[in-house]
Amino acid sequence: MGLKAYLNDIVEAVVTTAKGMRITARYGVDPKEEVTLQYPEERWEIPEGYRGFLHNDIKTCISCSMCVKVCPVDCISLEAVRGADKKMVLASYDINIGRCMYCGLCVEVCPPKSLKHTAGYEMASESRGELILHFIAEDAGEVKARVARQVAEAAAKAEAAKAEDQAAAKAAEVPSSGTKPAEEKKPE
Amino acid sequence: MEALAVSLVNAVPLLAGVPLWTVTLLLMVMVAAVILVFALTFEGVGSLVLRKVAGDIQARIGPNRVGPNGMLQFLADGVKLVLKEDIIPANADRLLFKLAPYFVFVGSFAAFVVVPFGVGLIAADLNIGIYYVMAVTSLVVIGVLLAGWASNNKWALLGGMRAAAQIVSYEIPVGMALIPAVLIAGSLSLQDIVRSQGGLLGIFGWNLFHNPFTFFSFFLYFTAAQAETNQTPFDLPEAESELVSGYNVEYSGIRFGLFFLAEFGDMFIVAALATACFLGGWNVPFFNAGTLPWIWGSLLSLGVFLGKAFTMVLIMMWVRWTLPRLRVDQLMRMAWKYLVPLTFVNLLGVSLWLLVFKGKGIPGMIASLFG
Repeated sequence: MGLKAYLNDIVEAVVTTAKGMRITARYGVDPKEEVTLQYPEERWEIPEGYRGFLHNDIKTCISCSMCVKVCPVDCISLEAVRGADKKMVLASYDINIGRCMYCGLCVEVCPPKSLKHTAGYEMASESRGELILHFIAEDAGEVKARVARQVAEAAAKAEAAKAEDQAAAKAAEVPSSGTKPAEEKKPE
Repeated sequence: MEALAVSLVNAVPLLAGVPLWTVTLLLMVMVAAVILVFALTFEGVGSLVLRKVAGDIQARIGPNRVGPNGMLQFLADGVKLVLKEDIIPANADRLLFKLAPYFVFVGSFAAFVVVPFGVGLIAADLNIGIYYVMAVTSLVVIGVLLAGWASNNKWALLGGMRAAAQIVSYEIPVGMALIPAVLIAGSLSLQDIVRSQGGLLGIFGWNLFHNPFTFFSFFLYFTAAQAETNQTPFDLPEAESELVSGYNVEYSGIRFGLFFLAEFGDMFIVAALATACFLGGWNVPFFNAGTLPWIWGSLLSLGVFLGKAFTMVLIMMWVRWTLPRLRVDQLMRMAWKYLVPLTFVNLLGVSLWLLVFKGKGIPGMIASLFG
């Protein structure tokens, strides 16, 4: 190493140090440079299309189980039984939010658009079981039993109506089938 | 200290019957306690300021939860350090492991003895002041090396070895960069060095402006001293990203606290020496603080000294959060190929200057031109 390179090294060290210190001094003096957000007190604005926790609006859900099939990590599980009006009735709809990777495929694929991402991102639990979101409060067995009962009732009613129909074939009064679905929808 | 004891005994008639050595001993303990309290307070507040400065420079806020605006954070840290469990690894060398923090702590704190805080405010005005500081801070090497060895941990050992290499290497440029001040004052005593920078020239009486060589030697000293005390651009012994935490990785609780305190103590010692040797020490510009009544003169000079020293500490923090850490080979190259030759050339320059111009500095010559 020649003397020139040696002196150059020294000059470079001094100049670059001074330059760096000028930059840090600017940051140190200017309070506007602070980017910290005091999280629990202040929050970020949630952007549009934010993929937070999943929420299923079970009123509009048609139990097609498309979300279950498309989920890459199998975090959604669904049980449904056929109700008295031939429509599917959800017995249980669980999302294991601890396993979900927020890819959004289930939301994209949902035909009635009942499954949606919310803006929620704060959750803590002491056990993994608490991370499973249950969208139907009732026990799946209870729902199934109730639906089965309703189906049986409806069948019995239909049977009775048919018998009545046959018995009074000439009678003008025909039991309206429109009342039955209303009855069956009630438990939901 | 004995002279002070004699004057105290003469001043207070109640003490007439007490043997002199008791009074001297008591005074010594009191002075030691005062200095210890000062040092601990400095370290507490210093750590808070360090974190606040770091926050500002890194576009963060820094601690702001404990007390108003985070002011009591250092108390929380201190309580935490004291209360945490003191763990000694199963395979550690127990005796050396326990001994190491005291070496580091003592090495850093013993240097406070000769820091010239004010006109008469110095624990012991040793006639070998600078030499004593250099010698006693070398104790840190032993402590750090012991800590690294006794931990029986590869990271700690690497950190300790690095520290030994680094501190021993940088002691040479530090000493060589301080000698110009000694040459100008003609004494190793820090009080004499500070007094030699007083007079009617104001800040131009400082050794910093004495001649071009002393100007450079201030910066050389500041750089080398940061390396010698393992401050951040040169904190290879505790390089977090390579060595986890370096030589103190196995320490916890109060033993870790001692290392931590010693680090801040070193910071103050470097700032204090830079102030005393190059920035005029406790000299109040254009004014002789020694002519005031003892109390006021001491307070005024103490304020001036601490103001300068704390400014130097702030600059050290500023450097610390600006520069990235050097590599080991870069560090060694900087010591042996750059700082050592430069300080030697500088020392030669100062000596020649003093020989040729009969000990007069540039400001002094300009002043003598105008009578």
